[in-house]
Amino acid sequence: MLEIRNLTKSYGDILALDRFSLDLGKGEVLGLLGPNGAGKTTLISILAGTLADFSGTVTFQGRNLFADRALKNRLGIVPQDMAFYDELSAMDNLLFWGGLYDVPRAELKRRAAELLERVELAGRAKEPVKKFSGGMKRRLNTAIGLLHHPDLLLLDEPTVGIDVQAKVSILDIIRNAGASGTAVIFTTHQLAEVETTCSRIAIMDHGRILAQGTLDELVRIVGERDIVEITGEFAAGPFSEALQDIAGDGIELLSVADNLASLAVAATEQIPRIMDRLFRRKLAVTDLKIKSPNLETVFLKLTGRSLRD
Amino acid sequence: MRRLLLVLANDVRRHLKAPMAILIFMVIPLGMTGLIGVIFAPQTEGSELPPISVLLVDNDKGLASKLLVGAFDVDQMKEMFQVTVTDEADGRKRMGRGKASAMVVIPEGFTLDLLDAKPVTLLVVKNPSEQFLPDVVEEFMNTMAVMLSGVVQAFAEEVRGIRAMLDRPVESFPWDKLGPEFGKAQKKVVAARTYLDPLILRLKAEETKAAGARTSFTQADLFSAVLPGMAVMFLLFIVQTLMRDIISEREDGKLRRMLTTPLRPIELIGARIAGGWVMGIAVLLVMVAAGTLIFRATWGPLGGFLLLGAVASFWAAAFFALLHALVRNRNQSGAFSAPIILAFSLFGGSMMNLEAMPKAFRTVGILTPNRWFIDGAALLRDGRFPFVPILILAGSGILLLALAVPALRRRTSV
Repeated sequence: MLEIRNLTKSYGDILALDRFSLDLGKGEVLGLLGPNGAGKTTLISILAGTLADFSGTVTFQGRNLFADRALKNRLGIVPQDMAFYDELSAMDNLLFWGGLYDVPRAELKRRAAELLERVELAGRAKEPVKKFSGGMKRRLNTAIGLLHHPDLLLLDEPTVGIDVQAKVSILDIIRNAGASGTAVIFTTHQLAEVETTCSRIAIMDHGRILAQGTLDELVRIVGERDIVEITGEFAAGPFSEALQDIAGDGIELLSVADNLASLAVAATEQIPRIMDRLFRRKLAVTDLKIKSPNLETVFLKLTGRSLRD
Repeated sequence: MRRLLLVLANDVRRHLKAPMAILIFMVIPLGMTGLIGVIFAPQTEGSELPPISVLLVDNDKGLASKLLVGAFDVDQMKEMFQVTVTDEADGRKRMGRGKASAMVVIPEGFTLDLLDAKPVTLLVVKNPSEQFLPDVVEEFMNTMAVMLSGVVQAFAEEVRGIRAMLDRPVESFPWDKLGPEFGKAQKKVVAARTYLDPLILRLKAEETKAAGARTSFTQADLFSAVLPGMAVMFLLFIVQTLMRDIISEREDGKLRRMLTTPLRPIELIGARIAGGWVMGIAVLLVMVAAGTLIFRATWGPLGGFLLLGAVASFWAAAFFALLHALVRNRNQSGAFSAPIILAFSLFGGSMMNLEAMPKAFRTVGILTPNRWFIDGAALLRDGRFPFVPILILAGSGILLLALAVPALRRRTSV
């Protein structure tokens, strides 16, 4: 349904997207994970048609996404900004934004009422949106993107800064959209969100996809190893040097920063060796945790940094 | 076109849902007009000017000076002037305290010098704190001076005869010769009558008695003159407020969201400009209705005024579309818009009467929409069609639009 090939975009000297390629099928929900500056919003903006001056091709339903204006009717966007009119009611906002697409008025009204039910705003449909809480506004923002039954839904961090109830509601909407055949790309910082919502996960950094697949496929990248998370009073440099001669011997340093490091070990028996090296270098360890591999460790392995960095 | 109308309707609905800004900009001009009316207009309808207080110093006390003093005592003059005869020292003291509009000093020997056809000077001391009442006194004295000079020259021979008699002591005054001298003068007047009677030119004062018409300048007239200036100034403020959406929607992400829909940038631009235009006309209509109901202001033919308002509103929409295509953010919009509107209003005559402004200001004023709107409104009140103001506003509006649309396209396109 969607084929992205070699999409490249620069802001001056900064390469935001570097020959980015991706395929997405009907009903697939792709979670796009990446640290700040990875290129997620740039990708969404290009697909939404609000960013120009890039190279590469995007084919949607067999047609050039940017050459065929009619395809805009098949695209649903949920931007990071709360892009609607505060002075209008939720219903008025839905009717206006939905009206910009080629949806018959009666169908639009029916669809708006149905969506308000789904995002649990039906009881406050006539109230000005400025009276809504942040979570309610996020739900409305998401509903606007779904009004015209898009074939491709793009959501740019739709759960930023909202309460748990609103987050659950939005993730439900995303799952339902996928189940009804809409292809979805949504960007987030929240690993748990993609773990529970997406059929496929792509990890990107520096404008490229580093790895993609289902959760299980990604976890296998780390392998059948345990993850050791060490906290202490140490700098990144001396920590790496301390483990230099045992690295590769069933021990892999996934990430290290001042006072925190993650390692993958083939067996927990390796841990005394690690501690011995650290004590020899007089690096103080205050805490040590052993975890099973998860998306976070995959992310750490692939990007070398935490998702919040 | 459907989407353009949808955006336009949505803009109107939004502003009607949150009308405070527009209401404020409608109430302020009406309030200011009311205030100006209360301060500057006559308190009772049809009232005349108050009597002009004149101090008269007669240092001559002769025949001619009496004639001059007497002129103030004629019926109509009595209503216009309140004359106090005094001496020069007291007169100057009173003038120093601002107790009179002007002081007229008739010099000693005025009558004899006049009869001898020597140049004489009447002194008019004007009160500088009053605007035009002293000028009325000066003009009146000018007229009297011209009349007296004319009489002395026309009756030079008779004046010489009478003048010779005046040199004699009272007890030997030749009363018997006075009659013939006046007789000669009368003959001259009678002879002149053959040429002057019937008078070719007659002056006839007539008061218009058309229904509802008032002959004097009333409070309603003042409102009618002031309100268009106020209305156009706040029309600019209102349209500027509406057109600021161009900037604010760019900043808060609504523009980006709109561009992800099938809405074309040109449709969005068209909707924004049309929205400013339509709302401007609507606001003017409300102000016309309020001005008529509250102040009994007159506007001339409503159709003509609506056309004038429509082109003024179009001009404002095009101008602020261009401005908002050039500024970068809301702060810049606010920083530029308010001074520009105030400058337009100052030079264009919304804040003060154009006639009272220096010539340079009036020249700058022709570059403002306020000037042409005010001129147009005045023409309409006079019963004339404001062809030139409408043409200038429409023409310059089209020019502004031609500059605004490509600039906005650059700003709204990806």
